[in-house]
Amino acid sequence: MSTLELPGYRDQSPEVAARFERLRQRPVALEVRGLTKRFETPRGVVTALDDVSFQVHKRELMCVIGPSGCGKSTLVRILAGLETPSSGEVRVYGEPVSGPGSDRGMVFQGYTLFPWLSVKENVMFGPRMAGKSAFSAEREAREWIDLVGLSKFENAYPHQLSGGMKQRVAIARALANQPRVLFMDEPFGALDAQTRCKMQSYLLDIWKNVDITIVFITHDLDEAVFLSDRILVLDANPGRVHEVVEVPVPRPRSEAQLFDPTFMATRKHIDGIMHPPGSGQKETPVMRLAVSDPDVV
Amino acid sequence: MARPAFLKDWFRIRRELPQGRRVALTAVSFLLPLALWCVVSYVPWIWHPDVKIELSAEREGVTTVFTAGDHVSREFFPEFVEAVRTENKAVLAARAAGTPESGARRKNQKLLRQLAPVAVGHGWLGHDDAQNDAVLYHLWRDLATGTKTATKPALSEENLGIIRQNWAQLSAVSSDFSFRKLPDEPLLKIVPQGKPANPVYLPAPHEVVRAGMRDFRAEVPEGELTMGDRYRKSLRVIFLGFLWACVIGIPIGILCGVFDFFSKLFEPFVDFFRYMPAPTFSTLLVAVLLAGDAPKVALVFIGTVFQMILVVSKTTRLLDPSLLEAAQTLGAKPRQMITKVVIPGILPNLYNDLRILLGWAWTWLVIAELIGVKSGLTEFIETQGRFRNFDRVFPVIILIGVTGFVMDQFLSWLHGLLFPWAGNAGSFSRGIARCVTWPFRTAAAGIQARLSAAEASRVASARQESP
Ligand SMILES: Nc1ncnc2c1ncn2[C@@H]1O[C@H](COP(=O)(O)OP(=O)(O)O)[C@@H](O)[C@H]1O
Ligand SMILES: [Mg+2]
Repeated sequence: MSTLELPGYRDQSPEVAARFERLRQRPVALEVRGLTKRFETPRGVVTALDDVSFQVHKRELMCVIGPSGCGKSTLVRILAGLETPSSGEVRVYGEPVSGPGSDRGMVFQGYTLFPWLSVKENVMFGPRMAGKSAFSAEREAREWIDLVGLSKFENAYPHQLSGGMKQRVAIARALANQPRVLFMDEPFGALDAQTRCKMQSYLLDIWKNVDITIVFITHDLDEAVFLSDRILVLDANPGRVHEVVEVPVPRPRSEAQLFDPTFMATRKHIDGIMHPPGSGQKETPVMRLAVSDPDVV
Repeated sequence: MARPAFLKDWFRIRRELPQGRRVALTAVSFLLPLALWCVVSYVPWIWHPDVKIELSAEREGVTTVFTAGDHVSREFFPEFVEAVRTENKAVLAARAAGTPESGARRKNQKLLRQLAPVAVGHGWLGHDDAQNDAVLYHLWRDLATGTKTATKPALSEENLGIIRQNWAQLSAVSSDFSFRKLPDEPLLKIVPQGKPANPVYLPAPHEVVRAGMRDFRAEVPEGELTMGDRYRKSLRVIFLGFLWACVIGIPIGILCGVFDFFSKLFEPFVDFFRYMPAPTFSTLLVAVLLAGDAPKVALVFIGTVFQMILVVSKTTRLLDPSLLEAAQTLGAKPRQMITKVVIPGILPNLYNDLRILLGWAWTWLVIAELIGVKSGLTEFIETQGRFRNFDRVFPVIILIGVTGFVMDQFLSWLHGLLFPWAGNAGSFSRGIARCVTWPFRTAAAGIQARLSAAEASRVASARQESP
């Protein structure tokens, strides 16, 4: 097998380097400092997150990647205010987070659309909670639904939609609140590969047109590299920050870049972190008989 | 061995049958019990452990008197017949020996009345006129001479012989009834006749239908209740009791499901209380609430409300918690989470819970109507059951069953209409649901048509105005 000469993942083209320079100049949207989360379980204390610190800048799209069970969901739930950390703090534009709020949107893997509300009413939910009139909430909802390309389905109910459409509604619903940060916890994890690809492009399209900072949780390497500016790689047991990788793939992204040397290099690097050589699972052996079968031999 | 084709077609693990077969089986599920009932009722050699007496006789020195319509066991009946025959033989023997008893006029008068069931059965005599000896006397003549032939019941040859023998003696003295002219020596008794019958508690379908028609249509004297009145009274009790249970039970149940505080405050006691059977409170309820409907409504309430609190709180807890989290991240405050997420989210399941609880409430209704002053349909069942008029009891029981069933099917259909997003409510057969809900659906379609017509004309007029 011929080894392809890949550039180092740290080698950034001048444009990309300039982009990251500009990114670092931007204000910090989300600051996480010394975040630790321990769960008391009957079998003892589980440390899900251990001293996690990082920063996300305004209008950045950061992916958090790590093996299953490393605390990604726990992290994003704490960021959204759905769980309280054991120690450490989270600040959004300098304000400490102390509970769920409409300034931080969330898109869950399980869609979590309200099944009794139509697409439009689902998207109107946030603005209505904020006390907007039905009329203005509806007008806003229409715009967001238009943005995710579901205008034809605004009166449909969630059970009538496909998984990808549901997730688009969920994104529109989160955005309709005009949050400053959007958290997405493996939002495309339940979709088939093809739909997932499409949804990734959709997401980038939306993000291009909306002033929002996104923290995107995934365990899919290609997804992480394709979407993000930077990737936060978490270690498992306990969840710790292993490295923050700056993705050297230029924007705008397209599917053609999947075979870019920079893309492959980044991918390979992170893959090496997540599956260190030698630690990989051995292939499942064929079951051996304890006593050889005389009829067969 | 290959499974036969018909097994493959009809029995498939967790697969729905085609529409046609489903409908057929639904029909069979109702026809089967009915057919069974008919077979047991109408095929004489199946079961029929009793004999229903058609013609009876009094025996000498036996105080137990059977009248036509009474049931005796199949084993006893031949004994009964034999006893009467023996008596007849003794009479004949005495007559042959020339030493007949005397002073038997009164007995003979009773004996003539043995034919009363025949006369009434054919309408030759009215029910209230069964002891009209003059008419009966002529009936003996007509039957003996063959002018009349009895079919309800048909008389046995043996009995026709006895009738002829007796008539020979009677006609020798007088052709019309007169007590003084009755023979002084004993006549022969008609031998009891009967037909195989099921116990009184299992009347035949046609008897039930007939009794039901009679009772449901019956005009009653002033001050008494028609079946319709009883029905309305029963419905009133159950709905009031259930309504109160909903008013109290649903809010508490939801609070228990949402807040651990209320759950721990109420549920342990409710859980304990529901094990005390509601009927045990009946005397207490009557003492506190006195007569009338109040204690009955209260019993339905007590029987329902505790279950309701537990069921509703459980349903509330089953709501997907991630919906609440989503609402929180969308900025919903606690109160909005209850009114905008919890309540609409549990509504379809809550509705189904209530449907099931309403079914239970019918059970409590029956007990409730027996406490204090008996009332409603149950009173009728009680009274008629005591008189062993089971043919009149069954129609009312069936009425209650049909009411509950129709209501449940209707509610389940309404579920689909109210919560189209929640999937099937579990009405077990669409066919039945369609039959049951036909009137409502027609009405709904009418309303919808009218609404859409109004909408169309509104749109049309708006269009005319707009340019
Ligand atoms: N509510 C909880 N109670 C106890 N342990 C938990 C709870 N939530 C998560 N954990 C544990 O924390 C770890 C991280 O979980 P999670 O954040 O869901 O991982 P990921 O999303 O990366 O797959 C797991 O080991 C999990 O068992
Ligand atoms: Mg997870």
